[in-house]
Amino acid sequence: MMAGQAKPRRTLRFCAVTAIAAAINAPVIFMVMNAFQTTEDINASHDLIPAHPTLANFVFLLARTVYVTFFLNSGLVALASTVLTLIAAGLAGYALSRWKGRLLAGYARVLLMVQMFPIIMALIPLFIIFRKLGLINHPASVIIVYTAVHLPFATWMFRSFFDSIPRELDEAALVDGCSRLQAFRRVVLPLAGPGTAAVAIFSFLLSYNEFFIASVFLRDEGMMTVPVGVQMFMQQYATDWGSLMAAATVTMVPTFLMFLFVQKYVAYGGVEGGVKG
Amino acid sequence: MKARLDLLPFAFLLPSIALIGLVIAWPLLTGIDYSLHAGTMLRQGRFVGLDNYTALMGDEDFWHALRFSVVFAVANVVGAYLLGLGIALLMNADIPGRGFFRVAFLLPWIIPSIVSVVSWRWLVADANAPVNLLLKLMGANPIYFLSSDAWAQVVVFAVKIWRSFPFMMLSLLAGLQGIDRTLYEATAIDGASRWQSFLYVTMPQLRNVSIVLCILMTIWTINDFETPFLITGGGPSYATENLILMAFRYVFVRNQVGIGSAVSFVTFIILTGLALVLLRRQRES
Amino acid sequence: MAIDIGLVARRGLIACALASMLAAAPARAQTVLNFWDMVWGPPEYSETAKKLVDRYNAENPKIQVKYRAVPWANWYQTYVTAIGAGTAPDLSTGAGYQPVQLYDQGAIHPIDDLVAELKASGELDDFLPGTVERLKYDGHYVSLPWAVDIRVWLYRKDLLAAAKIAPPTNWAELRAAAKALTAGDKYGVAASGDTGGSHYLYSLMVNNGGGLFDAKRTLTVQAPRNLEALEFLAGIVKDGSVSPASAGYDSAGRRRAFMLGQAAFILDGPGLPDSGTPEAREQIGVLPPLSGMHGDKGTVAWTNSIMVYEQTRHYAETKDFLKWWSRNQKPLWTEGHAGPMPARMSFHKDPYFKDSALRSFIVENYLPLGKTTGANAPGIFAALNALEGDGVMQSLTQEILQGKDVGPGLAKAEGKLKTIVQ
Repeated sequence: MMAGQAKPRRTLRFCAVTAIAAAINAPVIFMVMNAFQTTEDINASHDLIPAHPTLANFVFLLARTVYVTFFLNSGLVALASTVLTLIAAGLAGYALSRWKGRLLAGYARVLLMVQMFPIIMALIPLFIIFRKLGLINHPASVIIVYTAVHLPFATWMFRSFFDSIPRELDEAALVDGCSRLQAFRRVVLPLAGPGTAAVAIFSFLLSYNEFFIASVFLRDEGMMTVPVGVQMFMQQYATDWGSLMAAATVTMVPTFLMFLFVQKYVAYGGVEGGVKG
Repeated sequence: MKARLDLLPFAFLLPSIALIGLVIAWPLLTGIDYSLHAGTMLRQGRFVGLDNYTALMGDEDFWHALRFSVVFAVANVVGAYLLGLGIALLMNADIPGRGFFRVAFLLPWIIPSIVSVVSWRWLVADANAPVNLLLKLMGANPIYFLSSDAWAQVVVFAVKIWRSFPFMMLSLLAGLQGIDRTLYEATAIDGASRWQSFLYVTMPQLRNVSIVLCILMTIWTINDFETPFLITGGGPSYATENLILMAFRYVFVRNQVGIGSAVSFVTFIILTGLALVLLRRQRES
Repeated sequence: MAIDIGLVARRGLIACALASMLAAAPARAQTVLNFWDMVWGPPEYSETAKKLVDRYNAENPKIQVKYRAVPWANWYQTYVTAIGAGTAPDLSTGAGYQPVQLYDQGAIHPIDDLVAELKASGELDDFLPGTVERLKYDGHYVSLPWAVDIRVWLYRKDLLAAAKIAPPTNWAELRAAAKALTAGDKYGVAASGDTGGSHYLYSLMVNNGGGLFDAKRTLTVQAPRNLEALEFLAGIVKDGSVSPASAGYDSAGRRRAFMLGQAAFILDGPGLPDSGTPEAREQIGVLPPLSGMHGDKGTVAWTNSIMVYEQTRHYAETKDFLKWWSRNQKPLWTEGHAGPMPARMSFHKDPYFKDSALRSFIVENYLPLGKTTGANAPGIFAALNALEGDGVMQSLTQEILQGKDVGPGLAKAEGKLKTIVQ
């Protein structure tokens, strides 16, 4: 690439990317702009730019509805399931990376089956089990299910990531007298930042956004997560578009910010390790 | 020494196995049991053997849902892959603010499904919806997307592709960035065009990632409940009902847990079969 | 666990759902009852209901009732989950056929004794004829009526006046008027392809003397009167009088089109005008009950009721509150603007109904004509709920609105309905 060609090409590419990004995110942009209009205004016209921009929807949402409860519930559930996923998948990913054998090959296959399992099949049996344990309408039910559902993907990512950490490091630690677990904790984990960040983000995102399972197990209004709660805004007798758009806008802010700040540190590879046995 | 080592990996797997046992394995067995009975959500009902399954085979709704699931998966995988690859290629070059753009392109995936569905519904709902206004500007007639069997399917495909491509893009971008630059230099020296270097260097290097991505995306699409449910509810006239929506309808609306469980188990079998075939192919090549 | 925000919002149904969570009353020798109430009207409904509950609590220190507003979205799942989890309320209002469907699953406590008490005191006569009996199932009274949700034809006075068309009185006139009022981007009839849209089918079938079931509760889907009724709707669609977007509309979209003056006729509940601005309300009128093809009149109606759950541990107190609620619930209309019409005839005498041309007309002329989807069968039964919820009728509605042929669609629907009703 000649130096003279570089600059105008760069600008051209920048413009192209900006245009494409804007076009692709058009639905989101509309939604955010609608959040700044009252429901009456939204119903009255399909104008893009708000005629009377207002923060009323947000004020209403945060001060006078249970949205904050939904938000906190979502945060709790997503955080808890992320931590559990990191622990379970981290350990399993390490095992898959460092050991070979029939047991592990079998487990890798099990992971694939879990990924393929349609969760709807599990809902009624789980409902009964959780009922016996008193966990209906309790965040633990959803946390457990999310963790299990995210295990395959998270384990693959961890496995792939640990594969990229040379085994010599582990072996050096073992020679020095550490147990496997100690080697894992002292040598490998400190290097696992980017991989952990990647899994954490994906797991948090998938838990935070999940609608179906949450709508089955968390029906008590005080326990609902945001996606289910937002659906409540779509009522039979009137759709409060203003609040709905505002709720939607606020909902995407945490994950958006999270990605924005953390994406530098995240190792995005790791998908390949997955499906192979 | 060896005996101790053999137990240790099991210990590392223990938390995962416990979770999978509770959340997947046990419900799978129980679900199969339900599919052999005719029960409701609150009562188990009587044993009917394979009746639920034979009823399904003869039900045209089932075959339609199956067809739609397959078409949906193919459309989404192809569309998301092409779009993801295109944008990944674009992003692979040196662009100011690349980190920001990466997140910007991730937005469709980051947003909860209900949020994206709300925005999309609003975009296409009626004659005065923004998309139709655009069509009017171009001199075309308005399309009533959600009222027409075919167009409703198109909307469902479009929204799903929109939500799926960021993940493809992310992984492909990582793959692209992992390609050794010297390979390109070598082909450049040999006088290859950009298209040729793309075809003969880039694509082969991306092959493994691409295959895995497509398999994963197929699985996720066939198991997708939220997208069609929230956009069209399976309508109009069941045009956008896939296997999972059908299972949902039987279990939660009609209260026929037996048939609903049968549908979901059949879906599981289909996916397993698919995965087996693909893996065997992959191992052979 | 429940966050008591304290402020009562004027806008937004969620605010009311939240506001409905009372702070826990002081314990000690008190019975606490859980009352779940659906959202039966605009935001002020849930506020008014909560105030009413507060009144009861003040008058009855020994019984404290906790009010919860339940949104309509996925209501069936909400109740079944609660029942399955052992956390069902003591009593609730609900959908028209909810009591029988849940009764079949062993979740409802019959209220024969309560009905007997009301009969003995003469209070039972206050209820619209037939409403109490309609809720008799399997030899027991499963719930007590509180409101009748009915579908009526509403029209835009401004649109008809501008076109100098007189309000139609029968089907032929309706079809002609709808066609005449279709021009540009305005349509004659607003419809939708969701549950609210399927009500058009039920109403028209009943209007024409048909119905989905006969007196013996056998499915009569393809009865000639039903076919005629649906052909009538298909005819209106073929005339072009219905917006092509209708099949994909939900009820919110359909109502919006009507309230914005983009459609001249709509079939909806009596509460629709209350959801608009005062200016819009002025422009909405109600058609007289239309005569069908053979001169029949009628429309679909659901008797909404209050039901007691088997899981209640305080049946006597629940009964007490139920009676009080039933007697004193007039503010739900006068201040709360509930959508359906009261089941108690004494409420109809209130100025809220008498002074409103629309409401008094509906009370006098439509209420006596309301029939269930099961029209000819006495009483309601569980299959009605499964039938309405399943999607077969919604799907059929969508097909008709798409312009597809009625005959094959109805036959297909019958096949599917048979499997549901078994």
